[in-house]
Amino acid sequence: MADHLSLMTLHALLVAVYFSFLWKHGRRERWLYFWKVFGALMVGAVALGWLMYSFPRT
Amino acid sequence: MAEQPATTDPTPASRLPLSLLLALAWLVPGLGHLLLGRRLRAAVFFVVIGIAFVVGLLLQGELILPTAGDPLSYLAAIASIGNGTLFFVAKYLGLGQGVVTAVSYEYGNTFLLTAGMMNLLLLLDIHDIVDGRKEW
Repeated sequence: MADHLSLMTLHALLVAVYFSFLWKHGRRERWLYFWKVFGALMVGAVALGWLMYSFPRT
Repeated sequence: MAEQPATTDPTPASRLPLSLLLALAWLVPGLGHLLLGRRLRAAVFFVVIGIAFVVGLLLQGELILPTAGDPLSYLAAIASIGNGTLFFVAKYLGLGQGVVTAVSYEYGNTFLLTAGMMNLLLLLDIHDIVDGRKEW
């Protein structure tokens, strides 16, 4: 499990769980916040990677 | 598992000095919340930070210490030492030396630093709870 996507997913999962319990109270609020943070991290990372593809290292 | 507000469910920790409570919370992830009666959150924080720390070590990450002439290493050291007892135990066992040539080195660092920062952020949360600014 050393590929970038798996590790990124695990990291996003841990961070999303952490912040949903740190900042939200109640099962429903925590679930909503978890999916928001997890989604933002995953989609954001893919989007950022896609944008950086236009600027390869020389 | 319901968590009771500190105002209606005073725990022995309520009587502990804040500095001692913060020190204990830093040493063991989740312990501060446990002492304040937030058992569910304490368990979640302990597991999340523990997993992040262990994964970081397995990925050959480095528990960074300050290096003269490298200002960023001071910030990284704060995050590393933020892991509390996990940091000291790993250092004692000779873990977290970091293998710079390993392909997963930077990933490991990310997990270790994240774990430390998450633990440090818990201290602020505990401060807010004790201060009465957060009731749950």
